[in-house]
Amino acid sequence: MTTSFEVEAGASGEAPARPSALAARTRGLRKVYRGTVAVDQVDLEVPEGAVLGMLGPNGSGKTTTIRMLLGLVRPTEGEVELLGHRMPEQAPSALPYVGALVEGPGFHPFLSGRENLRRLAAAEPQLSFSDIPQAVEDALERVGLGGAAHRRYRGYSLGMKQRLGLAGALLVPRRMVVLDEPTNGLDPAGTREIRKIIAELHAEGVTVLVSSHLLAEVEATCTHVAVLHDGTVVAQGELDELLESGNDGLLVSTPDGDRALEVLRENRISSRLAPEGVRADITTATAPQVVAALVHGGVEVHEVKRERTGLEDLFARLTQNDADADGLSEVDEVRA
Amino acid sequence: MTTLTAGTTLPATRRTVPLFRLYRAELRWIFRRPRTLVVLGLLAVIPAIIAIALAVGGTPEGPPGEQGGDSLFATAAGNALVLPIAALTAGLALLLPLVTAMSAGDAIAGELAHGTLRGWLLAPVGRGRLLVVKTLGVATFTLAAVLVMAVVGVVAGLAMNGTGGLFTLNGTTLSFAAALGKVALAAGWVTLQLWAVGAVALAISACTEHPMLVVVSVLAGTILSTVLLQLSAVDWLHPFLLPQSWEALVDVLRDPMPGDMLGQGAIRASCYVVIGLSLAYARITTRDG
Repeated sequence: MTTSFEVEAGASGEAPARPSALAARTRGLRKVYRGTVAVDQVDLEVPEGAVLGMLGPNGSGKTTTIRMLLGLVRPTEGEVELLGHRMPEQAPSALPYVGALVEGPGFHPFLSGRENLRRLAAAEPQLSFSDIPQAVEDALERVGLGGAAHRRYRGYSLGMKQRLGLAGALLVPRRMVVLDEPTNGLDPAGTREIRKIIAELHAEGVTVLVSSHLLAEVEATCTHVAVLHDGTVVAQGELDELLESGNDGLLVSTPDGDRALEVLRENRISSRLAPEGVRADITTATAPQVVAALVHGGVEVHEVKRERTGLEDLFARLTQNDADADGLSEVDEVRA
Repeated sequence: MTTLTAGTTLPATRRTVPLFRLYRAELRWIFRRPRTLVVLGLLAVIPAIIAIALAVGGTPEGPPGEQGGDSLFATAAGNALVLPIAALTAGLALLLPLVTAMSAGDAIAGELAHGTLRGWLLAPVGRGRLLVVKTLGVATFTLAAVLVMAVVGVVAGLAMNGTGGLFTLNGTTLSFAAALGKVALAAGWVTLQLWAVGAVALAISACTEHPMLVVVSVLAGTILSTVLLQLSAVDWLHPFLLPQSWEALVDVLRDPMPGDMLGQGAIRASCYVVIGLSLAYARITTRDG
């Protein structure tokens, strides 16, 4: 089942993929920590300008993959390319254009938020010495910490710490931003703000890689998804395609469900009743054929849409054991 | 959308930050840390307390001129030159190495534990440069610690005895400038010994995430070396032990000054610095951050 997803996602992507349009890529990535395989055979592709959500249960290798992508950890095997540069060897060429918040914010408790950022900014090659104070103030404003910048980091709430970490990633204009669990510890308002910032970055053309275990968050902000399970990528591709793949149903909402069923049966399109109308199978017929048949048959059609799996279902299907997956797909069928 | 930044060339920017800028940021971090200030304060109090104790305790019992701690302190009661040297000798035995270890432990292991080292590594600061900055930071802090003790020692000594009693252990009198020169020499020599400790401590610091482990290791190493130096059964080992020449600090108070032990100690310390920093470099460049 998982392989079919990968094949479909790959095949239905824009056919001649431009090789240069990848912001980051890993090939055959493997990392072994003291005999434990953390990730294995990870082939991740992050297209330029995409917002890629990296999903996976705890311990599925998300953070390890990100750390190798950023050159913090040397892979046991495999290759990493970040903005066209091999990592970790060419890190000085790539990292100035990459902002990252990895494994939670790391700051000194006895310094204020502003002082912490200044220390970080001092090491930022893109900033000249005289630009540091302004860059720090801008980043603080952007994440809504302007008012608390003078307070010691020790006294920050979890949400404020997370925001300061984000400010550190956004100190200078980036080509790529990597956020590892950015909404950890944030309240709903804070989560919305992060989402807004991700949307802004996306609008600016910045590539964003965001790892999360919150599915709704990924569904709301991402254009692409990569699902990790047990240290390997089990599915990746554009979010819409992934959600539509594996579904061959067309949902037609109509007040006249019985009539619709009749018409479709006459046209030899298999269908059944759905909550707001009918679900037509489009493995043999195409969507326009279904609509034409219905309209010619005089059925009132209010809305037609492709059936989508919820990300949660998709995620569950991809990350469950085979035995569980079988049981789940039965449930899926019953529900559909 | 996807082509927006794909082909565009980026403005030519520096790939590395000037070392001095990083060093400045490092010093700012070290000297803003409350712990640093408390330690420097404690180091300042020690010579002052010794001076007060000597002033209150009255005249020395033993005759001046003998080697060893007690007589050295006793001499300090009537001699402004001796107090800073005596304080540094006492500090070098254990306290100053510990303070150095604390600083080295915070520099790498402590930053790693806080997750703050990542910020600089991702900026990026190359690992070699990172070690250079960390080494300079520890070296500067160590120098500051020694200077605090020496300066307070000189001031306390002068407050107690005035500039009148500036004579060496051999009884010759020194000019004020010559006396200050001797104190500066002692301070420089002690600093070099501490840099040796600091280099080894940085190597340990690069291997762990627990700054406390660095302090304990240096404590254990110092105590063990001191004990081994008492055992003649392992005298073949003595030339390799850093504290072997620490007692020689008192030599700066003699006239003429016997330079053998001091010179030997300086060479030994330099070897420690080279070996310690090499190990630290080997570790910091290969470890997962």
